[in-house]
Amino acid sequence: MDSVFFYRNSKPAGGEDGALQELKIALQPNVSVTGWPATAGSNALAGFTALQDATVVDRLRRAGASLCGYTVMSEFGFGLGGSSAGEAVRRKIADAELVVDMLGESRLAAARADACGFKPSYGLISRFGIIGLIPSMECPGIVSGNVRQIRGILEAVAGPDELDFSLPDEEPLDFSPQEIDPQKTTLGFVPELVGGLSGQQQNKFMSALEFLKKSGFKVRESRLPDFSRFALVHRIVGSVEASSCAGRYDSVRYGPRAVGAKNWNEMYILSRAIAFGSLVKSYLFQGAFFQFEKYEAYDNACRIRAGLLADMRQLHSEADFLVIPTAPGENLDAVSLEETYRMFDFMAFANVTGQPALYMPSVGGAGIQIVGPRRSDPDLLALGESILHAGRGGN
Amino acid sequence: MEFEAVIGLEIHVELNCATKMFCDCPNRPGDEPNVNTCPTCLWFPGAVPRLSSEALEKASLLCLALGGELQSRSAFDQKVYYYPDLPKGYQLSQAHLPLSRGGGIEVRDEKERIRRLRIHHIHMEEDVAKLVHEMEGRTPISLVDFNRAGAPLVEIVTEPDFRSPHEAMEFLKALRVQVRYAGASECSMENGTMRVDANISIRPAGTTAMNTKVEVKNMNSIRHVGDAIAYEIARQSASVQAGEDVVLHTRLWDPDRKVTLPMRAKFEGPCIPDPVVPLIELSEEWIEEMRARLPEMPAARASRFVEQYGLSGDEAAYLSSDPDLAGFFEALIGHGVAVRSGMHWLTTQLLPAVRDRQLELSNCRVTPERFAALLRMLEKEEINANAAREVLLQLFDGDAPPEEIVASRGFRQISDPTALASMVDKVIEDNPSAVADYRRGESKALGFLIGRVMQSSGGKANPKMIRGLLVKNLESGSRTAGA
Repeated sequence: MDSVFFYRNSKPAGGEDGALQELKIALQPNVSVTGWPATAGSNALAGFTALQDATVVDRLRRAGASLCGYTVMSEFGFGLGGSSAGEAVRRKIADAELVVDMLGESRLAAARADACGFKPSYGLISRFGIIGLIPSMECPGIVSGNVRQIRGILEAVAGPDELDFSLPDEEPLDFSPQEIDPQKTTLGFVPELVGGLSGQQQNKFMSALEFLKKSGFKVRESRLPDFSRFALVHRIVGSVEASSCAGRYDSVRYGPRAVGAKNWNEMYILSRAIAFGSLVKSYLFQGAFFQFEKYEAYDNACRIRAGLLADMRQLHSEADFLVIPTAPGENLDAVSLEETYRMFDFMAFANVTGQPALYMPSVGGAGIQIVGPRRSDPDLLALGESILHAGRGGN
Repeated sequence: MEFEAVIGLEIHVELNCATKMFCDCPNRPGDEPNVNTCPTCLWFPGAVPRLSSEALEKASLLCLALGGELQSRSAFDQKVYYYPDLPKGYQLSQAHLPLSRGGGIEVRDEKERIRRLRIHHIHMEEDVAKLVHEMEGRTPISLVDFNRAGAPLVEIVTEPDFRSPHEAMEFLKALRVQVRYAGASECSMENGTMRVDANISIRPAGTTAMNTKVEVKNMNSIRHVGDAIAYEIARQSASVQAGEDVVLHTRLWDPDRKVTLPMRAKFEGPCIPDPVVPLIELSEEWIEEMRARLPEMPAARASRFVEQYGLSGDEAAYLSSDPDLAGFFEALIGHGVAVRSGMHWLTTQLLPAVRDRQLELSNCRVTPERFAALLRMLEKEEINANAAREVLLQLFDGDAPPEEIVASRGFRQISDPTALASMVDKVIEDNPSAVADYRRGESKALGFLIGRVMQSSGGKANPKMIRGLLVKNLESGSRTAGA
């Protein structure tokens, strides 16, 4: 086992044709591949071998991609502590990696790997076979060296799936290449966010905005005073969902069972104590607290979430896309919930609203995210391609 | 002090769908343990539940059959608790937005007054696994059978409208008929496809307070529900009269001792919206389509039976109480059997024979077609009633047409006047004292003589003709003797 891969596929041969032919794609062990050790980075699933292929796996294979293995991941993909997400792409062992994005993991992993990271719209990709933790927030994200490749992979895996009944009944999106006219494209930025950055980060972000203006885009302010609520809502709703979602890891049907329990309540307590690591454990405790003791806080969080969605729709009526800074801390191996959420301060909003978000590592010298309304994925990726093209002096 | 009971029911009905509620596993809880399971109903990582359209349809038919109003939006919640019968730490149930609201059933109370007992709402939920507790040597072990986990259920929650065990039992009987008609479930408490919990409180008669209630579970027949409620009313009345407070708790009905006993309080977990199973949105058109799929319901059918077949109200209500029975009756008439004899033979001969054999009308060899063929032979006097009863018993044992059984086994009625006349002559000759009794005016003697002729014919003689011949012979004989 190396520091990047948790499991290497001995027969990574791709298909002989298809749009993703010759593309090497790394997965995390929370994406089920029949026969692979899909442990989701948790002792709760130690020794578990996937019984079915996730829909994304099936579609990647059909498109000709070769799957090179499972990378080392954080427990259930919550945060990036101990995770090698992005490393396979940075070291060019893989062309792309699927990283489930529940707080912003695919985007932050991309930032760490100096690559692009994309979280698609919620409901665009089947979650069948994805070992998740926060059902209403998570979505498989794509880390890759370039946006065009992300578009190709998304096109291959997106769309309705009869195995995932939870996908909304919507028309498939058209991913064919398109031109973006900067003159007709308004980009908004949230001044409240810029205020939260360090001096150096502010300078970088402002230079990115300058670059975009120079590239011909219209750039305007879009006020969002409630931005800090996104993380709060995420933390309450997300922890409640995680607590429910991890309820299945009870060691009754599978998973490690502690010895010496006198009855089944003790069996639960002792077994779950050895099943989860400390970060996930504190998250589950927090969720259980809101479920059992502070239901009204959860109820309020759901209401506030609906309000935030409306705020975002309002912003998008003023600007086609938003430009959001990123400020990854130095320490990605956060051990506490506080640190973990702080690390994803600028990212978790897109998980709360289900919007697509693209991280690009170098726009005018800064790493930024661009964000569009739900289901604007093709336009957003086209915008990303056009910005990167401008950056290479193509304009 | 006189007390009045306030009773509400919570009724779980297991829908007779082919599959479980959120996966394609067969909905057959009684199979070998754990054969009807898959990654979804065992909640393996990566599983995504898919609501069965059949479960939604059957649940909706059931709601409509009970007068409920299907909601345009309903949703599943997670009822969170940890127990080994629950494979994922929560049960999918509709706590906040139920499938249907309102509805009710009319029953007759003890004084034959019509009472409408209202339903508060009806929601869908998945069943949990079955726990079996055993000993392995000296160690107690608990085994889990997941065949039932995920089986489709509805829960019918009534208003606290019931005042007596009688009303609760009448309600359950009527509910069972409605649900069977809707084709949604067999609703058998004995087989566990209907499970009833009763919430009971008491108050001084004539007051309107809602006092602390006690929940009673574990009744496995409608009669037990009545007994348990009656016991609980008496128990609560006695304890209030003794100056004790009623405490909110749950009791189990002990069918052997016929008492309710307190059980350890079960933990009631919170209910949070499920983020995976999508909101259920029902269009007006879809609801109308379901309504159109409901068959003619028992009340309507009974009044039609009165109108169309001239049955009495009681007869019509009885036949309509079971869709299979009503259907069988109409099929008989359709096959050319007269209404009266069809009604009579179905209820007095066929039904008892079916029950004796522990069969159902719907699954026994005596189909309406075969039974009608038999009854038509009876109506045409090709066989007599004795023979018809005999042949009926044989219809249960094979598939031969009744005509063939009659022909091959010699059940055909003897209606040949010459043959009958010689039998009659012989009986008159052999029974001079009965003949003398008859001639003295003892009409009973005629019955005896008819019996003798029937006996000598091996039960096959046409009884009407014998009677005619006997009377003619005896009358003419007496005239001769008296001349």
